[in-house]
Amino acid sequence: MRVPAIAVLMLLVPVVLWAPGGTCSEAARAQSRRSRELTGEQIYRAQCASCHGVKGEGTRHYPKPLTGNQTVEQLARFIHTSMPPGPRKCPAPDAKKVASYIYHAFYSPIAQARVRPARIELSRLTVRQYRNTVMDLIGSFRGSMPSTDQRGLRARYYQTKSNARPVLERIDPVIHFDFGTTGAIPEQNDPYQFTIHWEGSLIAPETGEYEFILRTEHAAQLWINNRRRPLIDALVKSGNDNEYRGTIFLVGGRAYPLRLEFSKGVQGVDDLSKVKQKPPTRASLSLQWRRPKMPAEVVPHHYLMPVSGPELFAPATPFPPDDRSIGYERGTSVSREWNEATTEAAYETASYVASRLSELAGAPENAPDRKERVLAFCRRFVERAFRRPLTPELEEVYVQRHFRNTSDLETATKRVVILTLKSPRFLFREIGGGQPDAFAVAERLSFGLWDSLPDEPLLEAARTGQLSTREQVLRQAQRMAADPRAWAKLRDFLLQWLKVDQYPDLAKNPKQFPEFNDSVAVDLRNALELFLEQVVWRGSSSFRDLLLTDKVPLNGRLAKIYGVSLAPESDFQTVALDPGERAGVLTHPYLMASFAYFDSSSPIHRGVLISRSMLGRVLQPPPVAVAPVPADLHPKLTTRQRVALQTKPAACMSCHDMINSLGFTLEKFDAIGRFRTTEKNLPIDDSGAYKSRSGTTVAFSGARSLAQFLAESDESHTAFVEKLFHYLIKQPIRAYGPTTLQNLIRSFQKHGLNIRQQMIETVVEAAFEGRAGPSPALARSKEAGGTS
Amino acid sequence: MSYNTRREFLRNLGISAAALPFVTNLPCLAAPGATARKRRLIIMFSPDGVVPNTFWPDEEGTSFTLKESLKPLEPFKNRTLILHGVCDKVRGDGDNHMRGIGCLLTGIELFPGNIQGGSDTPAGWASGISIDQEIKNFLQKDPATRTRFGSLEFGVLVPERADTWTRMCYAGPNKPVAPIDNPYQMFQKLYGRVKDQENLKSVLDELHEDLKKIRLHVGVQDRQILDEHATLVREMEQELRAAEARKAGHRVPVLEPGVREDNDNMPQISKMQIDLLVHSFAADFARVATLQYTNSVGQARMRWLGIQEGQHDLSHEPDSNADAQDKLTRINRWYCEQLAYLARRLAETREPDGQGSLLDNTLIVWTNELGQGNTHTLDNIPFVLVGNGLGFRMGRSLKYPRVAHNRLLISLAHGFGHYIKRFGNPDYCGDGPLSNLT
Repeated sequence: MRVPAIAVLMLLVPVVLWAPGGTCSEAARAQSRRSRELTGEQIYRAQCASCHGVKGEGTRHYPKPLTGNQTVEQLARFIHTSMPPGPRKCPAPDAKKVASYIYHAFYSPIAQARVRPARIELSRLTVRQYRNTVMDLIGSFRGSMPSTDQRGLRARYYQTKSNARPVLERIDPVIHFDFGTTGAIPEQNDPYQFTIHWEGSLIAPETGEYEFILRTEHAAQLWINNRRRPLIDALVKSGNDNEYRGTIFLVGGRAYPLRLEFSKGVQGVDDLSKVKQKPPTRASLSLQWRRPKMPAEVVPHHYLMPVSGPELFAPATPFPPDDRSIGYERGTSVSREWNEATTEAAYETASYVASRLSELAGAPENAPDRKERVLAFCRRFVERAFRRPLTPELEEVYVQRHFRNTSDLETATKRVVILTLKSPRFLFREIGGGQPDAFAVAERLSFGLWDSLPDEPLLEAARTGQLSTREQVLRQAQRMAADPRAWAKLRDFLLQWLKVDQYPDLAKNPKQFPEFNDSVAVDLRNALELFLEQVVWRGSSSFRDLLLTDKVPLNGRLAKIYGVSLAPESDFQTVALDPGERAGVLTHPYLMASFAYFDSSSPIHRGVLISRSMLGRVLQPPPVAVAPVPADLHPKLTTRQRVALQTKPAACMSCHDMINSLGFTLEKFDAIGRFRTTEKNLPIDDSGAYKSRSGTTVAFSGARSLAQFLAESDESHTAFVEKLFHYLIKQPIRAYGPTTLQNLIRSFQKHGLNIRQQMIETVVEAAFEGRAGPSPALARSKEAGGTS
Repeated sequence: MSYNTRREFLRNLGISAAALPFVTNLPCLAAPGATARKRRLIIMFSPDGVVPNTFWPDEEGTSFTLKESLKPLEPFKNRTLILHGVCDKVRGDGDNHMRGIGCLLTGIELFPGNIQGGSDTPAGWASGISIDQEIKNFLQKDPATRTRFGSLEFGVLVPERADTWTRMCYAGPNKPVAPIDNPYQMFQKLYGRVKDQENLKSVLDELHEDLKKIRLHVGVQDRQILDEHATLVREMEQELRAAEARKAGHRVPVLEPGVREDNDNMPQISKMQIDLLVHSFAADFARVATLQYTNSVGQARMRWLGIQEGQHDLSHEPDSNADAQDKLTRINRWYCEQLAYLARRLAETREPDGQGSLLDNTLIVWTNELGQGNTHTLDNIPFVLVGNGLGFRMGRSLKYPRVAHNRLLISLAHGFGHYIKRFGNPDYCGDGPLSNLT
């Protein structure tokens, strides 16, 4: 029978309490009485600190720091049975107190994180870095992409499918045609058969699965990033099918070769001349895509380019997401899932390399010196993967040995690739400590600006000692900051800073906003991305303009909804939106619609965005979970009044005083981000205020006055500079010395709040900082060995 | 249509539930359960028709003579079943070559489309699923018969273009399945993972060695993450070894390296694909496979037989051209040799459970898109069956009175216990499975 635990306790307690005390010796009892008065800290300081150090950091006698993963109980047992050295051990109650003290003071991982001074931690590549690095590693054996600012695809129009010479060449902005029953262009005079080819590149804005949707009543084939196998093969028209889909994984910020062929008329045996009755047939063609987590749309003009470069390797192996718990992705932990993903990705890469070995190694199958060429390729592959020169010992381990173990070059190459991509020299950044050498500096620049490995000019600079001064490093950083990869990284930062990197749901109440739907949501997202690109990348790159401009790119469909006059079919073009009312990115319709509910604006979400992202304030989660007060409960209240009512309790106001007063300033922008002056027939009150860290209160009247403040405030500059640093460098800024943040803020202000310049300054500032390494003796032997 | 349950099937037969216990005692109706033997199907395709008088046996019944084209089957004569008089009656859009291959395993019309053949109206893909995929889906539904791939589609020198002439298998209407005609690609599909793991295993020593070296260069505080990494690598190694121990016994075949996809390499590729197919069956990766030689209108140039002309060109030659007919006979005999090699490999390979050979539990169906090349007829489509997989009575030559081939497709499904009543166009399914097979 089971006795309930409580009953057992009641039975036992009196026995324990009344147990006769004669079992302990007098001495032990005296000691116990003494230590009963001492705290764990006092006991530790008196008896342990002489060997272990006051903060458990270790001493000459025992250099190993007291940190680890044992529980308090395990620690107590260990101390009781083995500490201090010598015959007399620490009594159990004391051991327990000491264990508890050291655990919370410095032993546990959490305590370590609290007391540890910020330092540059050994980090593995983040997922973004991994994908870019592998892609560029393989890309380094291929040509590069010609650069152009032109958009659209190069089109060649042929009279029939057999014509060798096009009758017209031009650049088409998008693939979305209704050819009707005639030729596509007047020169195509046979309405029954004509052919058009498009060529160029497709820019993938973010990483993920892209679905392409091709609609046509005729034959078409689409190739993306693979010139051999079509992604969509709709050469055969069969039955009523006229929609074809294909999915491909693409890494963001890159341009992939694209080719599209369209052919009207029958394929196969050409016997059109024999056909007597030829009723007119319609022809149309449309190329849509679904970007990751977005609804379908015609592939927009600004993501198409009329030139193309080599095929790219986009490793598609899924990775577990990186730790973002402190606000930016970093690689300071490893996990089983991560390890498995690196194995899968190594297999994937090895297969890719082996299947294209002749091309990548420049070693045709019949080349008499094929083996030498493949070996040379592998050597370069390992060297580029490790981002530093390969020593003879490493070459032996990573390359030569595998070519002796098998005579099959493909197999040997696969092994080299797998070993290299599983090696910490590839997976981790700057394994050795100390002052960074030229190659470490190069790596800091390329990872800082691109999240990828150094390119050849940068490696050359490292090899020839051209990365030793700040000026030299700055020059390289300036060169590199013009690369599209720098924009790809900066763009991802901005989206994360604005908290829209996770694609907010933009569903809106169709009764209230009948003009708003999925395609408007996609248009808006495009509008925001174009806005960022225009201001930060192509334009002034000024933080002020970002916050204050009322010029935004809109297309015809959006212009109609947001009250700008533009031809309905217009592609995106820059227009003035609500002059005098809009204030840059903060009031961008996409942001306003994202930080809003299904049918109303959300001053709280907007206020939180401003507090955290713009002003760098730390907000605790609400003390109690609160559901928003439904609007229909108080049909007469404005959104502002309702929010004020809901957050009235004192427990709420400790944070909401700040949040609401900031969020209310954007109340003139409704749930779809449209400008308004009234709500429920009441005039909008968009006054607000902010109490700064120094205690002064600033009052705002509407979005523009808030934005003016944010554009000039030290607080928002500091928040931006710090967040940008963390996103680029992925290490705590405090680890780079006490003055780094101040230096960077000063430099931001000195350069007129130029964001691109700040990106450069940040990576240059972080390029030279030394870090903790092994003991000096080991470091010396490292230098002698030349490895790390 | 197909029946979802046995009960439904019996109901349709007009047998009441009360009779069920008795019916289930009949061996031919017993559902193939977990204890039943494995049943497998291979459909082998070669193009452009055959030469009837060197192909079809004159006799009917158990006593017959294999003619020139079928001579290689001599060792398996008593496990061979030759079906004459089975006709592809499906009409509609597309020329005979297109319908020949597109309706061969689907038994249903092609959709109208934009692919113009040598005659008739243009067409698209088949408008229904093919029998191999139907049976695969049936087997995959049941955990007792489910396999890693369900079906494998092998090809030999299938042209690198997807159109009505190059596709025989369909996962559904407008859903052609591309055969894999590159043995290395098929190997990668079957054993890629094993090979990857072997490669990883072969470099683990170097990895451990270097990890130790690297550790010396790392500061005390950074050691933890590196040690965790090293632990993960060690665990991975243990898992690899454990997985290897589990797999012990199943051998990964070795492919001759560097065989290009080239007309002249057709014999080698054919052998490699057959070897892979047999291996994949032995490992129970799939119970259904197709093996497609070239394509409808296939133009293999069998120079290794001293034949310089392409097969399709030859197949248009009239019966009076004795040289051409002789060459076509030798060409079909070569395909028959491939069939015989496949049968031999299956016969030589023991079932993993030790009960007989793979051929005891596999039926091979060799077929073609045309009856005869120079007439483009869809009558008397060659159907030569080898092996004892589906319980048909083998060792016979049968002559049917122009029956629709849909009925043979139904018979194949029934051979798996998949009692469909119709397959493809119902107009050609009238009398259900072919009589006299079992």
